[in-house]
This record gives sequence, C-alpha cells and structure tokens, in this order.
Amino acid sequence: MKGVWAVFYRELMFYRRRGVRTVLSSVIYPALFLLAFGYGIGKGARVSGMSYITFLIPGLITMSSMNQAYGISVEVNVSRYYFKIFEEYLLAPIGRWEIMAGEVLYGMGKGLLPVLFLLGYSAFAGIGLRITPLFLLCLFLHLLAFALLGFIIAMAVESHADQAALSSFVMVPMIFLSDTFYPIDKMPLLARYLGYFSPLTYSTKLIRGTLLPGSHLFSFKYLLFMVGIILALLAVAVVLVERAEA
Amino acid sequence: MEIEVQNLRKRFGEVEALRGISFGVFPGEVFAFLGPNGAGKTTTIKILTGLIREFQGEILYRGEPFSPRILSFKRVIGVVPQHNNVDRDLTVEENLKVHCYLHGLWGKKQRERIREVLELTGLQGHLRRKADHLSGGMKRRLIIGRALLHEPQILFLDEPTVGLDPAVRRSMWDLIRGINVLKGCTVFLTTHYIEEADMLAQRVVILDAGRVVAQGRPQELKEALGRYTLEIYHRDRIEEEFFQSREEALERMRSLDVPAKVREVNLEDVFLSLTGRRIRV
Ligand SMILES: Nc1ncnc2c1ncn2[C@@H]1O[C@H](COP(=O)(O)OP(=O)(O)OP(=O)(O)O)[C@@H](O)[C@H]1O
Ligand SMILES: [Mg+2]
Repeated sequence: MKGVWAVFYRELMFYRRRGVRTVLSSVIYPALFLLAFGYGIGKGARVSGMSYITFLIPGLITMSSMNQAYGISVEVNVSRYYFKIFEEYLLAPIGRWEIMAGEVLYGMGKGLLPVLFLLGYSAFAGIGLRITPLFLLCLFLHLLAFALLGFIIAMAVESHADQAALSSFVMVPMIFLSDTFYPIDKMPLLARYLGYFSPLTYSTKLIRGTLLPGSHLFSFKYLLFMVGIILALLAVAVVLVERAEA
Repeated sequence: MEIEVQNLRKRFGEVEALRGISFGVFPGEVFAFLGPNGAGKTTTIKILTGLIREFQGEILYRGEPFSPRILSFKRVIGVVPQHNNVDRDLTVEENLKVHCYLHGLWGKKQRERIREVLELTGLQGHLRRKADHLSGGMKRRLIIGRALLHEPQILFLDEPTVGLDPAVRRSMWDLIRGINVLKGCTVFLTTHYIEEADMLAQRVVILDAGRVVAQGRPQELKEALGRYTLEIYHRDRIEEEFFQSREEALERMRSLDVPAKVREVNLEDVFLSLTGRRIRV
C-alpha cells in the first residue's frame, strides 16, 4: 500500500503546485457548456419530459468528470517518457499494481472536482437532483472506468501526436454520442449504434438515472455492464504496468 | 562476493547490447565500468536493478539468484540514473518524501533520514526550493541523496559526473568516496572518464561494444603495459610506446626526429592497446 500513497502523494503535490489554474480549468468547461446549451439554446426547451437544463446537468457531470479523469493519460505519459519519474517507481520495492492504483486514484480525485461544482450549482439554482448511495456508486464506477482508460492510454501510446489523435477521433466524438447533451435514441441510426459502443453512454444513463429518479433511466443491466468494462480495463492496465520497462 | 554476473546477454532487436559479460563486485569496494558510448554500461545497470526484466545469463546477489521480480533486492540497492530525473515540479523536500514513502519511511524516521541525506549532500538550505531551480550539480546531489534515503548497501551510479564542470566533478568524487567510506556502501559506477575510474575505483571492468575487454585493479592493468607512455606525434597519427622507467622513455624520445611527450600510463592506454581505439573519439 505504501506505493499507492507515494504515487498519489506525488500527484497531489504536483496538482497543488498548479493550484488555481487546474481547478479553474476543470470548472470552466462545464460552466461554458451550461451557459451555451443550458441558457443559450435550451432555455424553455424540454427533453424526455423534463426541462433541458435538468436533463443537461447530469450529462455535464459525466462529460466533465470523464475529461478530468481520462486527462491523467497525458500527465502520466509525460512523467514516464519525458521526465522519467516513473523510473523511481519501478525501482522501488512496491508491487507494480500500486503504481497503477496511485495514478488511478489521482485521476478519480481530479474527476470529482467538476462534479462537486455542478452539484453545488444545481443546489443553488434549485434543480432537484437526488444524491443517493446508488448515485455515489455509479459515480465511483464512472470515474474508475475513465481513470483506468487514461492510465492504459498513458502506458500504451507513447507519442503525443497519437494521443492527440486518439482524443479527437475517439474521446470527443464519444462525448457527443453518449446521451450527454441529447438522448441518443433521438439520433440518426448510425450515431445511435456508435453510441451503444461507448461506455460513456452507460455511465451517463446510470448517473442521470440515479440523480433523476423520475427519469426511469437507471437499470441494473447498465450497472453490470459498467462493472464488466471496469474488470476488462483493470486486466489490461495490470498487464501493461507489469510489462513496463524503463 | 556482493554481485556475481555470469555470461550476461541482452539484445534489443538487431542490436546486441551485451554479448556475454562476466564480472564480480566485492563488498565495500568502488567498482567501475569504463567504456565508450554504447558499450552497454547503462544496459548492465538496468538489468542489475530490475528495470530491464528480459535478459539471459546468471546474476547472484550475495550468493542468491537475482530475479527482477523479487522486491527484497530493491531494498538493498540505491540507483542514480544517467539522466537527471528529479521531479522538477516538486520541491527538494517533496522529492525526498516521495522516495521515503516508496520505501515505507514515515514520521520521525523519515525526518531523520532526510536530515542526514541533506547534510551529506550539502543541500541543507534548499529544502523548500523547487527542484527545477537548482543548479546542475545540485540536482545531481539531490538524486544521489534520494538514492541513499533508504540506506542501501549497494549504490549504482550511472555516469555520475557527466556534463558537470571540473570543479563540481571533483566535489562529486569526494561525495562518492565519502559514501563508500563513511557509509560502508558498495559503489558500482559507470563512466567514460578515464581519470574518474582511475581516481575512484578499486577495480575496473573495461567494456567495449558489449564485451569485457579487461578487468582488474587500475594499477595492475596499467602496469601490464608499463609505467610510462611515450606519445609520438607523427604527422597523421599519434603512436604510443610503453616503458618501465622514465629514463628509457626519455632515451627513446631523444632518438626520434618527430615531436614526442613522456607521461604516466593511464587507463586510456589500456583501452587503446586492447581495442585499437580511444574511449573518447
Ligand atoms: N531500449 C533500447 N532499444 C534499442 N536499443 C537500445 C536500447 N537501449 C540501449 N540500446 C542499445 O544498446 C547499446 C548499449 O547501450 P547502453 O545505453 O547500455 O550504452 P552505454 O554504455 O550506457 O552508453 P552511453 O555512454 O551512451 O550511456 C547501444 O547500441 C544502444 O543503442
Ligand atoms: Mg549509458
């Protein structure tokens, strides 16, 4: 366990040094989306039997927390290949999985910030979201899945150009095809099918479903599905970190 | 024997980085790997410290077979890598703390270890400075100090003075000697500086293109050639001849009609006579 803390501590100190800048960047995005879609276009609009802003906020929660949690891919990659800080971890008498756990924990922590911001905002604006243990469980699974994905990408994709391409060809489309801004069952057939392949679709349904119990979006089927995805990601992450050499 | 290596081989695709090297390191000594760029020095250190997991050959640490997967080996070794990998976004203190946590050092013990290492490396006043703002020499001291936090019994130093100016290099030599003598730490260092191996090491392995070309005490290796070198400056090349006494060398020099110089034999001569090339081209 000492390795988990060591790695997490390093990232915490790193994050602290970046301070205000990083916190702001994790909040500015959802705030802008809120303004543009929630108040600009969506004012007075209704989707799936609720006001658009009520529909949108859970989507913004999953989108922005995914971005932050997945974002460790770049940070971990830079500290491994560019600054060679990873070498310190590989030399230490710790299990390789501890490195993974420390980084993933950090990614999950980063993902939590915009969630807190958006939940705070909705309480303030009087949007009735219900925070239940089931919601917390779904949020946990969502953060875990995307932090793991970020870690995997950091280990597997060495070049920055490839990372950027992955982001614009996979991550960004995923945001638009995953129920975040608009229900995918209202989309053209192709987009809908693509959406079914995106794990974000399921975590969005789970998070929106638990925050808005009236929406009937929640299903244990999705929950099991997320657990399955996480187990698969975990297996890949463990193999990659075990194989890592300096 | 602290470390025994038998017939160590490593390929990177087409490149044969190590072509079957064997050597031993004795407890408490300063042991040096001397060799030009690409000789396989870093590859050897990476294998011995578990950073490269795939290799062929046999490695014993104090008689026990080494495997990169056994964590207990990692507690007895400290490693200073060739490239500077201080965590530049963190302070000196935070850099040291991360290493302490990695080795399970907490609380009072941690503070004690950090204090001792700061004293040893002369970084006392810099605890709260960002590592990135330290000078090159201080960054080197920081990574050496970091490697000593968990009190390793064997310290690996991969080209510890490369890129440092001569005065800083000398102070680094003093530090390394201090660690060896005061801490009783076995030191395994690599270098391509002849003086460094000569000054610091009790024993040297001369490595070239993945092969051991010579090993032994610097004194013995040199004496096998002679004690004095006569450098003869021909128009297109420098020729070297070896003599047991200065008188013989001077006599030979007077008999020549080209410029020449007499000096003591060094390890470069050993390398040259064995490989036909110089260490630094
Ligand atoms: N990861 C790698 N992939 C491919 N080839 C490698 C790799 N690491 C080392 N090599 C090759 O193996 C050989 C030995 O390299 P090594 O780094 O061990 O040399 P060295 O003695 O440390 O040299 P230097 O003084 O430049 O540090 C070189 O030819 C190098 O190009
Ligand atoms: Mg090297």
